[in-house]
Amino acid sequence: MLSTELEKPGTTMEIESDQKKFALPVDSEHKSIEFRLFSVAAPHMRAFHLSWISFFSCFVSTFATPPLLPVIRDNLNLTATDIGNAGIASVSGAVFARLAMGTACDLFGPRLASASLILLTAPAVFCTCTIDSAVGFLLVRFFTGFSLATFVSTQFWMSSMFSAKVVGTANAVAGGWGNMGGGATQLIMPLVFSVIRDIGATKFTAWRIAFFIPGFFQTLTAFAVLILGQDMPDGNFWNLQKTGSKPKDKFSKVFYHGVTNYRGWILALTYGYCFGVELTIDNIIAEYFYDKFNLNLHTAGIIAASFGLANLFSRPSGGIISDIMARRFGMRGRLWALWTMQTLGGVFCVILGQMGSLSAAILVMIIFSIFVQAACGLTFGVVPFVSRRALGVISGMTGGGGNVGAVLTQLIFFKGSKYSKETGITLMGIMIICCTLPITLIYFPQWGGMFCGPSSKATATEEDYYLSEWTSQEKEKGFHQASLKFADNSISERGQRVNSASTPSDDNESTTARV
Amino acid sequence: MEGHGLLVGAILLLCLTHTCYGVLFSSLQHSLVVTASPQQGQLLKAGEDKIEVTWQLNMTFPAGSDSAYKSVKVKLCYAPISQKDRAWRKTNDNLSKDKTCQFTMVAEAYNDAVQTFQWTIARDIPTATYFVRAYALDSQGTQVAYGQTTDGHKTTNLFDIQGISGRHVSLDIASACFSAFSLLALCGFFLAEKRRTKLSHNK
Repeated sequence: MLSTELEKPGTTMEIESDQKKFALPVDSEHKSIEFRLFSVAAPHMRAFHLSWISFFSCFVSTFATPPLLPVIRDNLNLTATDIGNAGIASVSGAVFARLAMGTACDLFGPRLASASLILLTAPAVFCTCTIDSAVGFLLVRFFTGFSLATFVSTQFWMSSMFSAKVVGTANAVAGGWGNMGGGATQLIMPLVFSVIRDIGATKFTAWRIAFFIPGFFQTLTAFAVLILGQDMPDGNFWNLQKTGSKPKDKFSKVFYHGVTNYRGWILALTYGYCFGVELTIDNIIAEYFYDKFNLNLHTAGIIAASFGLANLFSRPSGGIISDIMARRFGMRGRLWALWTMQTLGGVFCVILGQMGSLSAAILVMIIFSIFVQAACGLTFGVVPFVSRRALGVISGMTGGGGNVGAVLTQLIFFKGSKYSKETGITLMGIMIICCTLPITLIYFPQWGGMFCGPSSKATATEEDYYLSEWTSQEKEKGFHQASLKFADNSISERGQRVNSASTPSDDNESTTARV
Repeated sequence: MEGHGLLVGAILLLCLTHTCYGVLFSSLQHSLVVTASPQQGQLLKAGEDKIEVTWQLNMTFPAGSDSAYKSVKVKLCYAPISQKDRAWRKTNDNLSKDKTCQFTMVAEAYNDAVQTFQWTIARDIPTATYFVRAYALDSQGTQVAYGQTTDGHKTTNLFDIQGISGRHVSLDIASACFSAFSLLALCGFFLAEKRRTKLSHNK
């Protein structure tokens, strides 16, 4: 059933017969050109639902301890330093795990890579019930935090299943709905804990039993991904590799092309100041409201949850905005929208630290969360276009950079008593504004950057950009076919200039490919 | 009419401030004598051991100074060493914000004779160093006097309680089983995948 039509950019008849195999309309790479949220049709929308639910379960597990800290800190005799260190540990494991995950996706496919990581970190969640010291606490938070690397496989999978026109939306909804887990857990874990307590367990046993819930959930989602999921529209990596439809790539080459692309490094830095800030806030905001406004833990937890739950619509909005801007202004529109939203996030962060009344603080926090989470969605509207061969590595670098930002902001502003929490929040806002400026330096020869238009050289085309990642020997063997298709499909990133023909042969292929 | 409204407003404000700014600990009379059974440095077990607390009015105080005392609350309080680096147990002179004494051992009506109570340490008392303090409350439930087993700097007569761990052998075994299961399931899926690929390739 594997399509040999992959090697021949299709005639209209072949495209139509491909079309019949898929529930959604597809392009020449068989990626869906529509995003239908309430469909579960295989393989596209099913992949979407599997990836966001499994990522959601990882967030639930990683942030399951903060809402139960009042009980855990007494059971384990923890100090504020122990808790702070564990918080940093929970987000630092994923820094390198995300990069490794990116490479694993490029080599083994997102389905196996994500399910493996989820099943490998599930033991850390189960073993949380056995800890009895500050060291044990730090270790379980550290190893559980590795599971946040499934973010990369989520984005990779969406970029493999959805075409340029909707990839921003798909990435942002999957990422945002997964991130919601960090908010949902602040409501789920206290609820599970109180149910178990009411059944008859003492406090110090009840919280331990509660951790089996995220553990089960995580394991089940991994099984679902393995049984129901598929790496690419045409099949799974290993199948495609064996039949030769998808050539097996070399790790060293993939890695090289990823780390030598400067745009990946810039996005890694800027993602640290939208997503990284989001993780930091997830860890400190409940305490902030609790201490500053003398709320009880229950109320502070609800406010903390609302920050994470805003991801339901804010991050997807970022992706949708990215795709809308791209339709009119192409890649330049995506970059401008990203810079604007993230800078506004920084501004509202500065304001949040200055708010003295509870209702004003909640209002500003919600506005801040919308901008910062939308910026996360907008970032991954740009990432799929930075590299085709090393998509996984670029996604991993960006994702890893997000966690580095979380580690840095917690270390600089929220460890110990150097700054009060409100000063820390204001200073973090200033750092966001400064570290967002590098977006102005991103430039694509075929599409331009924030301040410069596209190059007028004849070699500044999408094909040249993506095929420059392959050597002529590799091209002779036909390894570059996937990149070629992607280049054709990405011509839409020129914005409304797409109909002005600079490469007539490309335009003909792309119009027939869009059935 | 406006003056009337202003007066009501002022009274309301006074009431609010009164409830917001609770009683200050430093304003309380140290007129109770409290003793507890644990020795200095003794280690007690939560859920098993008992603490016997005795309290009475300090006889050096003039008779009638306890006329306002209507009830007594005896509390288990954290010693400074257990408050270190733990802002959730911080001492605050304003008793409505004070978090030193988080566990009530007994609450009874005040009686000017010697009172005793034997308290079994609850199972949810955490591992820490403690002392015992008794507050005398007036008819509105506001603290008016206190007594404690330790000195003013909270350095003498402190005892330790060992909390329960909350761990159970059954939980440990269950977590080991489920962890092993998820790892084995992963290996199983890998092998099944490899076999399926080989089969479809051989076709």
